[in-house]
Amino acid sequence: MGKKRRGPSLEELLDRPWCYYCERDFDDLKILISHQKAKHFKCDNCNRRLNTAGGLSVHLSQVHKEQLTQVQNALPNRMGVDVEIFGMEGIPDDVLNAHRQRVASQFQQAELDRQHATGNPPTGASSGGQPAKKPKLEPVSDLKKRLAEHKARRAEALAGGSSGDVTPNSAVQSTPTPGGYAQSPPVAATPQYSYPQPYGGPPAGVTPHLPQTGSPVYSSYSPVGGQQVPGASPYTPTGYPSPYPAGLPAQPPVSYGAPPFSQQQPPPSDNRFTGLPAASNLPQRPAFAVPSVNAHEMQQMHMGHVPSPTPAAPGHSNGSSAQPTEHVSTPVDNQISGAANDVASKTEATSKPKKEKTKPAIRLVYNEDTLSPEEKMAQLPRYAYVPDRSTQTALSELPGNVIVGRIQESDTVLDTTH
Amino acid sequence: MTSHQFTVVSPPTDAISALKFSPDPSSARIVVSSWDKNVYLYDLRDENGKVGEGKLLQKFEHRAPVLDVCFGENENEIYTAGLDWDVRKVDLNTAEQTVLSSHEAGVRHVVYSREHNLVISASWDSTLHIHQPDAGANPDSQPIIVPLPSKPFSISATATKLIVAMASRALHIYDLKALALLTAQAETAAPNGTRVEIEPWQRRESSLKFMTRAVACMPDDAGYASSSIEGRVAVEWFDPSPESQARKYAFKCHRQTAEDGVDVVYPVNALAFHPVFGTFASGGGDGVVALWDGLSKRRIRQYQKYQHSVSAVAFSASGQHLAIAVSPGFEDGHDEVPEGTVKIYVRELGETEAKGKGAK
Repeated sequence: MGKKRRGPSLEELLDRPWCYYCERDFDDLKILISHQKAKHFKCDNCNRRLNTAGGLSVHLSQVHKEQLTQVQNALPNRMGVDVEIFGMEGIPDDVLNAHRQRVASQFQQAELDRQHATGNPPTGASSGGQPAKKPKLEPVSDLKKRLAEHKARRAEALAGGSSGDVTPNSAVQSTPTPGGYAQSPPVAATPQYSYPQPYGGPPAGVTPHLPQTGSPVYSSYSPVGGQQVPGASPYTPTGYPSPYPAGLPAQPPVSYGAPPFSQQQPPPSDNRFTGLPAASNLPQRPAFAVPSVNAHEMQQMHMGHVPSPTPAAPGHSNGSSAQPTEHVSTPVDNQISGAANDVASKTEATSKPKKEKTKPAIRLVYNEDTLSPEEKMAQLPRYAYVPDRSTQTALSELPGNVIVGRIQESDTVLDTTH
Repeated sequence: MTSHQFTVVSPPTDAISALKFSPDPSSARIVVSSWDKNVYLYDLRDENGKVGEGKLLQKFEHRAPVLDVCFGENENEIYTAGLDWDVRKVDLNTAEQTVLSSHEAGVRHVVYSREHNLVISASWDSTLHIHQPDAGANPDSQPIIVPLPSKPFSISATATKLIVAMASRALHIYDLKALALLTAQAETAAPNGTRVEIEPWQRRESSLKFMTRAVACMPDDAGYASSSIEGRVAVEWFDPSPESQARKYAFKCHRQTAEDGVDVVYPVNALAFHPVFGTFASGGGDGVVALWDGLSKRRIRQYQKYQHSVSAVAFSASGQHLAIAVSPGFEDGHDEVPEGTVKIYVRELGETEAKGKGAK
C-alpha cells in the first residue's frame, strides 16, 4: 500500500511561526515579523511601523505624547502591552503550550474529518504525525498483544491449513490477556459468524466500510461495523441498537442480542472521544487490507467454531471490552451517515466544528420583515405611551397588540369607543 | 489602540436611540436621545477647551421615549421625535419645548435641512411631516403631510435631497427644493395640515434583501449608503445614469462566526459619513464600529468590539471626533437594561485615522 501524504504533518504545523497577538500562522518568520509590524505595531498617527509593542509605546509617548494602552488588532486576551513580543520570541510558555495543543487537536480533527469524508483508512495518512495519541487509548502492552495476535492470525491464514488454523487461533485466544482485552477474542468471534452471510454477496461492499469503524483495537471485529452501516440508518435515533440487528441474523443464539442494549447506552459518548483519536494506530491495517483474514474467518466457520457465540454472549452482557467495540463503531457510523441523533449532534458540534464551517450557515440576530427593532421595542409595556386623548382602555389594549401598526391599531380601537 | 477614547459622563439610563454632534465645527456638544424619555445635552469640552469625558449640561424630559434628535439652525435649538407621536422643537437656552406637529404613530426620525430651512419628520404612520421651523412660533401654521407607501425606517438629507428608506425595501429620494416650495405654498392651508401627494424624484428598491436599517448620505451629495438587519451595507449613487448605477455595490459586515460554525449576522444599526473625508462609519449589533472608504471599497479600520450593540454613531462637524452610542438589547427588546451598560464613547480621531487610503 503506497502511502500518500496529504497536507503537512503535525510537526510541520507545529513548526510554523505564528503571531502571539492574533494566533495567525505564517510560512516563515520574516512574514510573521512584517505582519506584526503592520498589524500590531503600527502607529496610527504617522503610520510608522515599529518592531515591538514596547517600541511603539516609546514612539507614541515621545513623538505623539500618547500612551499605548493595548496592542491593536489583537485577540481580547492578548492585547497587553507588557509582553514584549518579536516574531516568535517572548511568547509566554503557557501560551505557547496552549497553542501547540490547539494546533495538535486541530490537526487531529482535520485528520478525522478527512477520514470521514474520504473513507480512507486512518492509519496511512497520519501514522508519522502523531505518536502522542496512541497512549490515550491503549497501553503498549495491549498493542503488542494485538500485534501478536494479528501476526498469528495472518500466519495461520496464510498457512491456510484446514485443520491447522483452528489451533493457532485458539491458542491466541487462550493466551493470558489481562484487562478488558481478554474478552475481545470472543467478540472477534461473533462477527466471524455474522460475516459469512454477507460474505458471499458483498465482500467488496464491506471492505470500504472497514476504516470507518475507526478503532483499531477491535480491528478483527470491523466487518460487523461495515455491515452496520446499512443496518444503522433506520436506527439512527439511538445508534446503538443497529449493530445488533445487523449482527443477529448470523448468530445462532438470538437471545443475547436484546439485553445488552440497555447496558450499553451510557458509554458511547465517552467512547467516541477516547475512541476516535486512536484511529491512526498501526496494526489495524493488515486486518483490513489482507483478504486472507476473511478467508480465514470463513475457514473458521467451516471448522466448526460455531459454538463460540455462546461464550461471546457473557462477554457482551458483562459490559466489558465487548461494548466499546460496538460503540466505537456505531458513533462513527452515525457521524458518517449524518444522523440527526441528539447525542451525536451535540458531540459532533464540539468535536468537529471545522466540518460545519464549510457550510455557510447564518443566523440572523434580528429577523423580521416589516417590524423594525424600534417598533418591537416600543411594544414593550414599559415603553407604552398613549397620547393625551387616549384613555385607559387603550392601555389595556397595548399588550395584546403585537402587530406592526400597534399604535395605529390602538388608535382605531379608541375611535370606535368614542 | 492609539487613538484616544473617552466615556462620556452620566449617560442615559436606558437605550440610546440617536446621537448627534453640533453643526458648529468648533463646538464639541452632542445631543443624545434615549428610551428613558430624555434628551441629553453634553459638552465634551472641559473648562480649558480640551475634549474629554465632558459634562452633562442639560436634560430635557419628554412624555415618551425619544427616538430621534437633531440640531436645528444652530447649536441652540434641537428637534426631537418620539413615541408620543410629536415632533418638538426644544430651545436649549430656555428649555422651552414647542410641538411642531403630531403624527398618528410614533415618530422615528427627524432631520433638519439647513439649506432649505425645513424640518422633516418620518413616522410609523407612513407619512413625512415637513415643517418650516419658523412656523413653530406660529401655532396656526401646519406642516404638509407627505404620505409614503410604507413605514419609514430611516431618513437622511443632503443639501439638495432627502432619502427615505421604508419597509418593503422601498426607497424614495425627494428633491428638497420641491419640498420646500410645496411647504411654502401650503403655509396658509387647512389647520389639520395638508396631505400632499408628492412624486419622489426617484423611487428605488433597496439593493439589500433584508429590512433597511439605516441610510446616510455622502457629504458631497453624490450618493448614499444604506444598511440592513442582515449585516450588509450598500453604497449607491444618486445619479441615475447607467454608469453611476453600475458603481453601486454592497458588502457584508458585522458578522461573527459562532462556536458551532454558524455565521451570526448582526444588524447594522448606524451609519455616519465623515464630513471631511467622505468615508463612513458603521455600527452594528455586534458592538463593532468600522470605518469604510466607500470609494475605494476598503475598510479603513475596525475598532475593538464594545460590550453591547452599537445603536448610533456620529462624526463631529470638524471630523475630529467620532461618538459611539452603545446600548444593550437594542435588537431583541430585552426587558431590562442593566445599569451601567448604556455608554457613549467618544474617539478622538488621528489626523488620517478616518481618511481613505485611495484606490489601489
